[in-house]
Formats: sequence, structure tokens, C-alpha cells
Amino acid sequence: MNNAPVQPDNETVGKLKTDQMFINLGPQHPSTHGVLRVGLTVEGEVIVKAVPDIGYLHRGTEKLAEVRGYHHCVVLTDRWDYVSAMPNNLVFCLAAEKLMGVKAPPRADALRVIMCEMNRVASHLLFFGTYGIDIGAYTPFLYAFREREMILDLFEMMCGARLTYNYIRLGGVMVDATPEWLAKLREFVAYFKPKLDEYDSLLTYNPIFMARTEGVGLIGPEEAVNWGLSGPNLRGSGVNYDARRADPYCGYENYEFDVPLGKTGSCWDRFFCRAQEMRQSIRIIEQALAKLPEGAFMATGVAKIPKPAPGESYAHVEASRGDLGIHLVSDGGISPFRMHVRAPSFINLAMLQEKLVGMKVSDVIALLGSIDIVLGEVDR
Amino acid sequence: MGMILEKLPGLTKGLPGGELLLTTSDYLIDLGRRQSLWPMTFGLACCAIEMMGSYASRFDFDRMGVIPRASPRQADVMIVAGTVVKKMADPILEIYHQMPEPRFVISMGSCANCGGPYYDSYSVLKGVDRIVPVDIYIAGCPPRPEALQYAVVKLQEKIAKMSLKKGLATAQQEKGSRDINA
Amino acid sequence: MTQDEIFASIQAKFPKIEKAAVIVKDYLTIRLPSKDVLLPLAAWLKETGFDYLEMVTAVDYLGPVDMKGYIRQMNFNTFLPDGATPQIESAATPNYPYRPVIDLVWSFVSITDKARVIVRLETPRDASSAPTLSGLFKTADWQEREIFDLFGVTYEGHPNLTKILTPDFLQGHPLRKDYAHVKDRYDE
Repeated sequence: MNNAPVQPDNETVGKLKTDQMFINLGPQHPSTHGVLRVGLTVEGEVIVKAVPDIGYLHRGTEKLAEVRGYHHCVVLTDRWDYVSAMPNNLVFCLAAEKLMGVKAPPRADALRVIMCEMNRVASHLLFFGTYGIDIGAYTPFLYAFREREMILDLFEMMCGARLTYNYIRLGGVMVDATPEWLAKLREFVAYFKPKLDEYDSLLTYNPIFMARTEGVGLIGPEEAVNWGLSGPNLRGSGVNYDARRADPYCGYENYEFDVPLGKTGSCWDRFFCRAQEMRQSIRIIEQALAKLPEGAFMATGVAKIPKPAPGESYAHVEASRGDLGIHLVSDGGISPFRMHVRAPSFINLAMLQEKLVGMKVSDVIALLGSIDIVLGEVDR
Repeated sequence: MGMILEKLPGLTKGLPGGELLLTTSDYLIDLGRRQSLWPMTFGLACCAIEMMGSYASRFDFDRMGVIPRASPRQADVMIVAGTVVKKMADPILEIYHQMPEPRFVISMGSCANCGGPYYDSYSVLKGVDRIVPVDIYIAGCPPRPEALQYAVVKLQEKIAKMSLKKGLATAQQEKGSRDINA
Repeated sequence: MTQDEIFASIQAKFPKIEKAAVIVKDYLTIRLPSKDVLLPLAAWLKETGFDYLEMVTAVDYLGPVDMKGYIRQMNFNTFLPDGATPQIESAATPNYPYRPVIDLVWSFVSITDKARVIVRLETPRDASSAPTLSGLFKTADWQEREIFDLFGVTYEGHPNLTKILTPDFLQGHPLRKDYAHVKDRYDE
């Protein structure tokens, strides 16, 4: 008996009529991180064409901002990148404060920095857990959420909400940090630092994980800049651009931290950047806690119904997803005349239509997960 | 199984003690249904993160028999968590119709209840109950994971009232989704 | 490089470009005389290190927003203390230059220099168009599609200028100030 595997001969292959297949990924899909639809045309296992279809969460916040007062707009901002809502509040408040000519006091700046960095840790923990599920590892999700729940407890103690905080307000922050809260934060920081090594042993240097993500979705540095990527996607390709260093805000120039860079621009590099950013965020939180200034937490002179003088401003922060910017135009009225959100997830997602071509179907989710999008920001 | 359930009320009418058989079957069927509700993962927006939190370590949903299933064909309940945008309304309807009966809908968060903070937007559907019948509404923006778990408890109580005599329709599907006494 | 140095080098190459009347606070804002300057300027900026196209957006200066695009007006008067004068929102501010133009805005960033140049172009509302930058910067692809969807601005030469965010049955361009919402089957 011939034990060789059965191979089709040339005659059979010539008679096989192969065709391309259209697969619809989403909008309801456990791995698309929200309602994203990607229309994939595959030939066998290889993708020939990929068309992302977004807009399934388009709520029209830019239009709604034109009929809301400035304080009310802050509520709308929470819901863009709902996984890490503090930087969204912050960027709108920075842009509006530029228009109004208001400067937040130093204690408010330090509290803003602490909140944004805590939120970066929480957001990267969620990325860590869900990316594990995407690749097929179900356990890290439970570990990540155990720590994330502790961070959400701290947020709830401070401002009453777990997810959409509305804490960073025009001119400062909503409420001051009590000594008990600061003590609990120090406890958490001490508890969390060894956990980062635990996560590294669980997923980051896991050989199966590395085999699935190294060498997948390579993006070179010039290409990354051309596509307008930002955040860990850009830094994973080796480009050193961080809004906290380029345009420092809220006193970031006084804190010592490194900006982790990747080498090859693969999915693993982007994941590694985020894992290292968690460590740097803890460093920043410790420094901010050590030098927390006393004083007011809200600037005086912010009107109940602000009417900034006519003008335009642009502010951008390093949110967890990338470089989040707001272009605000005021005509002197109660509501912003025009508010445009430079959403990092929207711009990062655009490269999918080119990057997916030539990849295998099983690598689609690995690439999509490594961009770390949140549909609230993509669609606004 | 379905044939037995349909014919059982008629068969037991004449039997002495038939009602007892009917109510015991009701109890057992409802017990099986309510203690193993399998929701479909249908997170749309921010409420989805709280839903994920309720499946995770602290607010473990598995102890209530709730396991998320990705395919609508294998799910009992659809938790609509997040803003329903008009573009998404058609996919929601398609998925709802793919779920086998008896199926339930939990509307989570103010966006799914009534449009929420985006009620005056040009592209937001003001409440998912405009397209699918809803059993339980959860208020909140976003509601806490405990609120979602309480909603599942309330749904379990609602399922306990289902009966073979009424054709296993839930009280909500009889009277429509806006009847609060159902 | 300071803002003045950058502006001097831009003016040396393109003499007709001037600083914009309304400056985006703290950043160099220049105004293009016509849309033909855009592509040469973008190519030159890309060569001189401004190779990161950060933002593509548009502003409609027609007037305060028309409430026919919404369902309900917010009433701020309940938040005022007693005795204060009632506010009328959506009222036009006197002396603000409302005009029927759509201003297109691009923001170029130099990563090595940490500098930003904001470029503006005024276009008439009825026939708003500009050349596409998607040949030079791939990031302009989706951002221009978004502005087309929400404002109706045509970008000449764009490979795929179609709706990206709003549903297919939505008529009109929502972010225009005179957008009137047409009732579809999901509104009551």
C-alpha cells in the first residue's frame, strides 16, 4: 500500500474551479471589540480584499456639542473612548480652558495626571485581557479584571462612577482627593507592581503567544507615520512620538518616565509597548503622589454658563489609544460653534484595509486586536 | 419535545390530577430555563464594558448559570448593551430573529432604554424597544454589574411565571413590552 | 524651529500664503489663497520634515445651528440664580463674521522638530472642493471621507469618496449648519 498522502495531480487541479469567498466579520462578533464590520474577500486562506465598514455606533456627538453648553459637553466626551474616559474629559477641558484663558491650579494638574495615568493602566489591563481572548488565552482576562476592578473601586471612591467619570471639569477637577483615598492609592500601587511581572510570565513571553504575534502585521516607521498612526501603534514601529513629551500639558515635563519603543512594528511589539507603558504609568503615579501640591482644586472665575470670547483652539493629549486631539471653535455663544475630535482609533483603523491584504484569515483577529480600537472613538 | 409540550395541556384536562402534572412540568421546565440563561454577547458601547465586568472575576456571572455564547442560535437572551444607532437597527433585528424561542431581551443602559444622552441626535434610535420587545429595562449610564445581575434575577422570576397553559409565552410577549404590570 | 522661522521658509517658497486672520491658539496658522497651492505645499511640507498629517477637518461658518436638525432645545435658564437675565441660546453673536463659507483645515506635524503648521482654505458652501491629499498621506483617505459624509466637501482625485459614518438612508450632510433632519422610518 502506498502510504504517501493523497495529492491532487495536475489534471485534477486544472479541473478544480476555485472561487473567491466573501466573509462578513461582524458587526456582532466576539472579537471585533464593538460593532465593527469588515468585509473580507478570501481566496482559500489568504485575504484578497478587506473593506472595513464603520458607523454602527455613530451617535453624532460633534453635532450634539453645538447645542450643549461647555460643561454639558464634558459629559459627551466620556463616551468616546469609554474604556479610559479621563483623558477624553481632559482634552476637552484643555481646549476650552485655552479659549477661556483659564489655567488650572497645580493641585488640579497633579490630580489630573494621576487620574489619566491610572486610567491608562486600567485601559491597558483591559487590552491585555481581551487581546488574550482574541489569541485564545482565556485566563489572563480574569487576572486583568481582578486588578482593573480595584482601580475602578478607587475611581468610584473619588467621583462616584466606575466608567464614565465626568471628573475633570473646566478649570480643575470635580472634587478634592481625601487623605484616605491617597492612602488607598499608595496601597494599590504597592500591590500592583509585582503583578506586572506575573502578567509578563503569563502572556508577554509565552511562546505560543509570541509565535502567533511576532512577525504578524509588520508596519515600518515611515509607513506608520504616513498612515497617521499614534500611540503604541506608532511607537511599536520605533517612532518616538509621545504627546506628553512633544507638547507637555498638566506638568508632565516635571515627571521622569521612559517612552517604550518597539523594534519591528509587529503585533508583539505593540503589545509589549503597552505592557511597558503600564510600568511607566505606575512610575508617574508614584512621583505625582510624592510631590502632590496643596491648594485649590478648581480655578476661580469659571462661569456657570461659560461664554468664551470668539476664537479657535487645538489641544491634544496622549490618551490610552493614541494621540487624541480636539479642535474647538467658539463664536462667543453658550455652545461650541464647532468641535472636531481627532480620534486616534478612527485613524489607526484605516490602515486595516491595506494591511489585511495578503494575510491569512487566522491572523486577522491578531492584527485587529493589536491596534486596540474602541468603537466609541472610531464612530463618535 | 415541542409536540409533547403542546399536547400536554389538552391531554391532562380530562385526567384526574392532570393539573398537578401540568404545574409540575411547568416548574421543571421553568427551572431548567431560568437557571441556565445563556446570553448572546451583544455589547455595543460603554455598557458592554460593564457587561464584561460582570462576567469577569469579581461579579462572576457563571455562578448564576450565565455563560456568554457568541452565536445567536445558541443563546436564550440578548442583552442589548449600549447605544442603538439607526444603522445598527437592521442587524439587531436579524440577530433577534435568529435566536430560537423562547427568547428574551434585556435592555441595558439609558441609551438602549430611551436614547439616553443622545436622544436628540440625528442617527440614534430612541430605545431598542422600538424594534424588539423588551423584557427587562436596566437604568444607568452605565449600570453597575450588580444591576445587570439583579436584572437577570428579575428575568428569572419572570420566567418562573411562564406556563404551559399559556403556550409558554412570557407575560411580556402576551401584553407587549410597554406593560409594566406584566 | 520657531513659528516665525517656519513661516519665513514657507513664504520664501510660496509668496502668496499669509497668516490666517484667526489664529488657532499657540500654533502657526496659515491661509491658502486658492486650492491649487495645496498639493505643492503639502509635498514641500512632507519633504521638509512635516510628514505627519495629524488632522483633516472642516468648519461651517454660516450661522448658529438650525434647530430643525434636533428634536429638543436645551433650556439653560433653570441653572441660573434668581434675578439673572435669561439666556437665549443659539442666538447669533453680534459682530461675529458669519459667512457662507466652509473652511477646510489641515494640521501638519513634524515629529523630529515637534512643530505644527495648521493650514486653512476657504471654500464656498455651495461648491466646496479641494484636491485630495491621499496620494501623499495615506491617513487622509478616511478623514476626507468623513468630511465628505458630514459636510459634503468633494476631494478631487480621491479613490473612494463614499459615505463612511452615516447610514445609507440618511439624506443630507448632518454637520452643516442648515441641516434639516428628514424623518426616516426609525423616527416616530
